[in-house]
Amino acid sequence: MTNLIEMSHISKAFGGSKALHSVSLDLKAGSVHALMGENGAGKSTLMKILAGVHQRDSGEIFMNGEKLDLKSPRDALEAGISTVFQEHSLLPNLSIAENMFLGREPTTRFGSIDYRAMSSQTAKALGELGLTLDPSQLVSNLTIAERQFVEIAHCIQADASVLILDEPTAALNAADVDVLNRNIRRLRDKGKAVVYISHRMEEIFALCDTVTVLKDGALVGTRMVSEITIDELIAMMVGRELQDLFPERMGEKGDEILRVESLKITETSQPLSLTLHKGEIVALAGLEGQGQQRFLRSLIGRYHPFAGTISINGKALRMPLSASAGVRHLQKLKVGFVPEDRKEEGLFLALPIAHNIAIGLHSRRPELAPARPYRNVIARMMEVMNIKAAGPSAPVGSLSGGNQQKVLLGRYLAADLDLLLVEEPTRGVDIGAKSEIYHLLRDFTRKGGAVLVLSRETIELIGLCDRIYVVHDDTIVAEMPAAQATEHKILDAALMGTAARQH
Amino acid sequence: MYRSLFNILSRRHTRQGLWGLPLLVALVISLWLTVQTTEFATAENLFNLVAQAMPLIIAAIGQLVVVLIGGLDLSVGSVISFTTAVLALDQPAILLIPAVFVLAAFIGLINGLAITRFNVHPIIATLSTQYIVLGITRILRPVSGGTVPEIVIGAVSGSFLGIPYPVFWGIVVILAAWKLLYGSRYGLHLFAIGGGIASGAESAARNFGVSDRRNIILAYVICSCFAAVAGVFLAGRIVSGDPNVGLLFELDTVTAVALGGTQLSGGIGSLHGTVIGALVMALLANGMNLANVSPFVQTAIKGGILLAVVGLQSRKKMGL
Repeated sequence: MTNLIEMSHISKAFGGSKALHSVSLDLKAGSVHALMGENGAGKSTLMKILAGVHQRDSGEIFMNGEKLDLKSPRDALEAGISTVFQEHSLLPNLSIAENMFLGREPTTRFGSIDYRAMSSQTAKALGELGLTLDPSQLVSNLTIAERQFVEIAHCIQADASVLILDEPTAALNAADVDVLNRNIRRLRDKGKAVVYISHRMEEIFALCDTVTVLKDGALVGTRMVSEITIDELIAMMVGRELQDLFPERMGEKGDEILRVESLKITETSQPLSLTLHKGEIVALAGLEGQGQQRFLRSLIGRYHPFAGTISINGKALRMPLSASAGVRHLQKLKVGFVPEDRKEEGLFLALPIAHNIAIGLHSRRPELAPARPYRNVIARMMEVMNIKAAGPSAPVGSLSGGNQQKVLLGRYLAADLDLLLVEEPTRGVDIGAKSEIYHLLRDFTRKGGAVLVLSRETIELIGLCDRIYVVHDDTIVAEMPAAQATEHKILDAALMGTAARQH
Repeated sequence: MYRSLFNILSRRHTRQGLWGLPLLVALVISLWLTVQTTEFATAENLFNLVAQAMPLIIAAIGQLVVVLIGGLDLSVGSVISFTTAVLALDQPAILLIPAVFVLAAFIGLINGLAITRFNVHPIIATLSTQYIVLGITRILRPVSGGTVPEIVIGAVSGSFLGIPYPVFWGIVVILAAWKLLYGSRYGLHLFAIGGGIASGAESAARNFGVSDRRNIILAYVICSCFAAVAGVFLAGRIVSGDPNVGLLFELDTVTAVALGGTQLSGGIGSLHGTVIGALVMALLANGMNLANVSPFVQTAIKGGILLAVVGLQSRKKMGL
C-alpha cells in the first residue's frame, strides 16, 4: 500500500513554547490510523496543521507524492481532507443541510441556493450512516451524538479522501460508539484514510490498524496495532523519569476534613463515597472526562449532583450549593478551589502579581472594607514560591506558564486555608516548575492542610499523592495507596470498571 | 386555540427570530388607531404612513445585515445626513447620485476594516465614523439648505394609482434585500458567521472555508449603502441638505431590528421581522402624534422599547 498522506518533519511553536518538533506521520488509504498521547502531546496541533487551521513552521506535507501547501481550512477541504474537530464546529442556527454544504452551496441558474439538491444529497449522506434526520432541521435541535454523525456525514458528503476524527467518542454512549465504529470501518473499506484520536484503549485495539504515539510534541513511534500489546502501548505513552521530582510522602495523617457520602453525580451513575484527612494529598485518577472534574466541581456548586451529602470538618454542606456563591461559601469554611484553566478561570492576566495574590485575602473581608496592601504577605509568597518576575507589580500575563501557575497557587496558599481542591496543578508547566509546585503542595499538607487533586497526568498523581481514587463513568471504581499504584493498575481499574458493568 | 396561536407567534427553533409578536403589536396598534380616530383607516393615510416609514425600513434592513453577523452600525444616522448634504451640493444629478453611494460604501469599508483588521469593537469603530462623518457633513452644510437635484425630488414626491412613489421604490429595495439574504450564498454565510460568533466559536464558519473577514467587511458596506438609499429618500422629501435629518437614526434602526425579533448577538433574525419592526415604530409615532405625546417623551419611550425587547428575547429561551 502506498502512502496517501506524508507529513514529514513537521515543527510548530506557539509563542515561545514548542508544540511539535520534527514529527513525521504517514497515512495509508484504506486504513484507520490511531494517534495517541497525553494531553498537550501535540496530537490536536498536528491534525490542525493537516486541516489547514494552523500553519506549520517547518516540514513538508505530501499527498499522493505531491507537495501540499495548506494555508487555510479551505485549502485542506479542497484537497480532500475533512476534519471532525474536538470542539463543536457545526453552526447551531443553520439546518443540517446548510451545515453540510456551507462554503460550497450548489446554486440554481438564478444564483439562489439550490435547497432541493442540498436536501436530497444530505438525506442520502445521512442515509449512508443509517440516519433518518430531516435535513431542514436546525442543528441546535440535535443531540450531541446526532451532531457528531452529521459532522461525519459532512466528511462523506464532501467526498474527502482523508478523515480526521478528533476524539469522536468522548461524548457518545456505548450504542452510538458502535454505530460510529461500524461507519468508520465502512469508510475504511471504501479506501479512505482515517485518523482516529482517542484515549480509549479498547477502541484503538478494536478499530485501528496503525498507531502513532506522540509525547511532549515529539514522535515516540509508529506501530502496527496487531503487533503491539496494551502494555507496550502504555509504555510508549508514559515512561518518563519524573520520580526524582516528587517530594517525600508524609507518614501520618490527621483528623478527617472532607467526607462525601453516596454522592450520585448524575441520575444514572453509581453513588460514590470518599474521605480526606489533614496531611493527605488525594488524587482523582482515571481516563479523561470520566467525571473527575464534575465531581470536584460538585463540591463547589459549579455542577449540581443528583444526590448525596458532603461535609467539611464535620459540618454538612447544604446541598445544592449555588453556582454563584458556592466558592465564597467554601472560602468561609477555609476551602480553596484552584481551577484548571489558569488563563480563563483563574488569573487576571492584565493585573499585577500582587493583586492576583491579594485577591484571595481581600475576598475574605467585608465587601466595602478598605483594601490593605498586604505587601509583606505578597513579598513572602513570591520568595517562598520562587516566582521569577520583575517585581510584584509585573502583570501576570507577562510571566511564563510555570510562574503563572505559581501565582495562582500562591493566592490560595497565602489565604490560610485548610483544604485545597486543585484541578490540573501543572498543566502546561515545565519540569522544573512542576517539581516546585509538588513541593509547595506537600509543604501545605505538612502544616496540616489537605489537598484533593485531579490531573490528566497519571504519573504526576502517583508521585505526588498519598491515596488514589480511580474514577470511571461518574463514580469511584477503585481506591489504592499511591505508593503501590502504577499507571497500568490505574488504567486496569478504570477499564475493568467498564468491563464489569458491560457483562 | 390560544395555545397554538401563541406557539405560532413565539415560534422557537427557527432562525427567523420572534417576529410574530411585533406583528401582533402592529395589528393591535392599528386596531386601536382605527377605533380612536376617523382619519387613520383610510387608504391615503395608510399609504402615507408606509411612505413616511420607508427611510427607516430601508436603513433598518441595512442595520439587520450587520446585526446578523454579530455587529452593530452606529454610523447610519450620520451617513443619512451626509448623503442629503452631498446631494445638495449643486452639481449635476448624474454625478451626485453615484457619488453618494461610492462615499457610503467607502464609509462602510472603513468600518469593516477597522473591525476585522484592527480588531476595534464594532460599537467603537462605528461610533468613531459617526463622529467623523457628522463633522464632515457640518463642514459641507452647517445648517439646513441648498437644493437637491430635481430627479431625486420627482422620484419620491408624487403617486401612481394613489400609491406614493416611495412605496414602489421601497418594495424594490425590500425585494433586493430578500434576494440578498435568502436567495444567495452570501445571505447564508451571514447567518453562519453570526451564529458562530454568538455561540462562542468565532472560527466555526472559517473552518467550513467561509471567509469571515471579507463577508463582515461587505456587510458594513451594504449597511452604509442602504443608509445612503434612505438618505436619498429623505433628501427628496425635504428638498434640501440637512445635517440633522439622520439624527438618532442609528438608534431607531437598532430598535426596529430588535423589535422585529432579531437577536442583537447575531445569527438569528429576519427581513420580514425587521420590516414589521420598522412599521411598528412608525405606527407608534403616528399614534403618539395623534394622542399629542410630546416628541421628547416619544424619544424616551423608544429607548424603553429597545430595552424591553432586547431584555425579553433571551437567546437561551430560543434554544439556539
